Amino acid sequence: MKFIVSSSYLLKQLSAINGVITTNPVVPILENFLFEISDGTLTITASDLQTSMITELEVEAKEDGSIAMPAKILLETLRNLPEQPVTFSIDGDTYSIEINSDNGRYKLSGENATDFPKVPTVSDGYSVNMSSGVLAQAINNTIYATSNDELRPAMTGVYIKLDETNTTFVATDSHRLIRYRRVDIAADMAHSMIVPRKALTLLKATLPSENTNVNLEFNASNAFFNFNNVKMICRLIDERFPDYDNVIPSDNENTMNINRASLLSSLKRIAIYANKTTHQVRLKITGSELMISAEDLDFSNEANERLSCEHDGEDIEIGFNAKFLIEMLGNLDVEEITLKLNAPNRAGIILPSDQDDNEDILLLVMPVMLNNHV
Amino acid sequence: MDAFYASVEQHDNPELKGKPIAVGGSIDRGVVAAASYEARTYGVKSAMPSSIAARRCPQLIFVKPRFERYKEISQQIREVFFEYTDLVEPLSLDEAYLDVTQTKIGLPSATIIAKEIKDKIKSRTGLTASAGISYCKFLAKTASDVKKPDGLFVILPEEAEGYLKKMPIHQFHGIGKATAEKMKVAGIFTGNDLRKKSLEDLTRRYGKAGAYYYNICRGIDDREVKQNRERKSVSAERTFDRNIIRMPEITQELERIIQITFERYKKFGLPGKTVTVKIKYGDFQQITRSDTLNQPIEEMHQLQNAILSLVDQKIIREEGIRLLGVGISNFQRKDRSLEPTQLTLNF
Repeated sequence: MKFIVSSSYLLKQLSAINGVITTNPVVPILENFLFEISDGTLTITASDLQTSMITELEVEAKEDGSIAMPAKILLETLRNLPEQPVTFSIDGDTYSIEINSDNGRYKLSGENATDFPKVPTVSDGYSVNMSSGVLAQAINNTIYATSNDELRPAMTGVYIKLDETNTTFVATDSHRLIRYRRVDIAADMAHSMIVPRKALTLLKATLPSENTNVNLEFNASNAFFNFNNVKMICRLIDERFPDYDNVIPSDNENTMNINRASLLSSLKRIAIYANKTTHQVRLKITGSELMISAEDLDFSNEANERLSCEHDGEDIEIGFNAKFLIEMLGNLDVEEITLKLNAPNRAGIILPSDQDDNEDILLLVMPVMLNNHV
Repeated sequence: MDAFYASVEQHDNPELKGKPIAVGGSIDRGVVAAASYEARTYGVKSAMPSSIAARRCPQLIFVKPRFERYKEISQQIREVFFEYTDLVEPLSLDEAYLDVTQTKIGLPSATIIAKEIKDKIKSRTGLTASAGISYCKFLAKTASDVKKPDGLFVILPEEAEGYLKKMPIHQFHGIGKATAEKMKVAGIFTGNDLRKKSLEDLTRRYGKAGAYYYNICRGIDDREVKQNRERKSVSAERTFDRNIIRMPEITQELERIIQITFERYKKFGLPGKTVTVKIKYGDFQQITRSDTLNQPIEEMHQLQNAILSLVDQKIIREEGIRLLGVGISNFQRKDRSLEPTQLTLNF
């Protein structure tokens, strides 16, 4: 088998899917890209068994064939070559690969393509379309709240609940929860799935900056994302997602409206003085004043700031993990937010004061109990 | 105890029996706190990053640690120990030194005691333990590692020398990984190699620990088994040559005892709020009076005021007082439950 391709074009396609490959895969062949040529179309696959990414490109080739090529050495070679057409010659019996460029000749050994694990194909699936911009936004808004706890796999992914009128994305690590709803994605029928974090991270990195259509096909065990000439297939997390609706309180009547940017920058300063394990900051709302404070008794550090806010409700003092608040506020793209509280030991809710017509986001965060309330 | 955390989990959840399990943190960031013997055959060890463990043994089952449960079992095990001796020095939740030179039940042989303790632990907790028996702490510890799991091994005084000579250097308790590597560079591979080094040489190379190494490779270890029970009070008392009866004399003696108590209290370091005065009369009858203050005692005069206000004319009896004592208790230990806690959603 022999083919000719532009070095930079090939590098661009490989870079798009390279993120899937892990440094220490379960089976060694997964350190390779699978190259398959059929009628002048080169299909390249990278996989870690859970997630696979596939890209297609046109190459100059006279014959069909396939080979597994070591990903790392191939990428490094291409990265260091000036743009030019390079020729790949593969010996089908020994799996040896020879790359020819203007600069010289590089030999490396590949592996039998038939040893590369088969990527699942879609069958009896459902399908929904969305714009890449909307999908990227949904991922950005939720992914950071997923859990790292492998012992509770359901929470290590984002829950996607498709409905006939809207689509809901939910992520939680049991300390905070984000519910992001879009009315501009709708399916023919209700369906839900949990997509692993890794797949979404890869998707986020690969989605093009210009808006294109993303087609999502799925069945009970896999999801297939299709856009431009990239395809991502991921195994879904086969677990029941926690009953998130139940933990979202509806009786948080104590509300405060405040400028998001000034609250965020204040929190960033105060957090420097917070205890390094709990990251606890206190929010004390009295009248139309918010006092934010933190202390670290171990180092005698303390800080406090005052901000003005619009407050409707009783005076309240509540503790939160500053890192959570900073991350959540930092990911919101609004002028003003509403913080809805109930009691120092009950979940707090952050809502944008104004929402885009197409989106509806709710951020929930559990408090850190202040020691003077115990 | 053998693979303590892992064994507890396997015992409590029969589905895990016979399977490779690791107790510890999450796969991507945690470390293995304990591995079952099934997992150890794959090279999974404690303190190994969970990700590496999962790679060595793909079917490894990760179990979240339940320290409350381990403490509970640890307590049951300690109760067994205390049936034999009060000289128990816990090393961790699942390990302890016992000095059975003199026991509560008068059993003559340490081996028989060890066997009984192992049996009792097995019947009360369902878990197996390994015992090592010898004449000093170092060798007992060494012996306990010889026949794991469910083992019992004795190193007799006359066997110690031969045993230690052959022992590889990294197996010496108290010689860590880093020191063992250094020793290997210095040509010390076994106990016998270590014996050939002079005390001066060892202290020059390894500082204070050098002396310890010099001794242990000869089977010399004079450390006593220390019971580190939590201290509940700090006190001092004094018995008089003759019984005292007059108030000025009582006050004067108390002031001396208060001073000693206060010095001990300062040395002890934890703040205490309850003060007690103990009075033993000429007829050996004893009374105590105590008071709990709003604030922990910081200055000596606070202790003095508190004690002296407990002592009035009513304590005086005609038999006279033969002993006075002063104590401070009710220490304010750091309470973890008072630390701020991140609340969790109730899924």
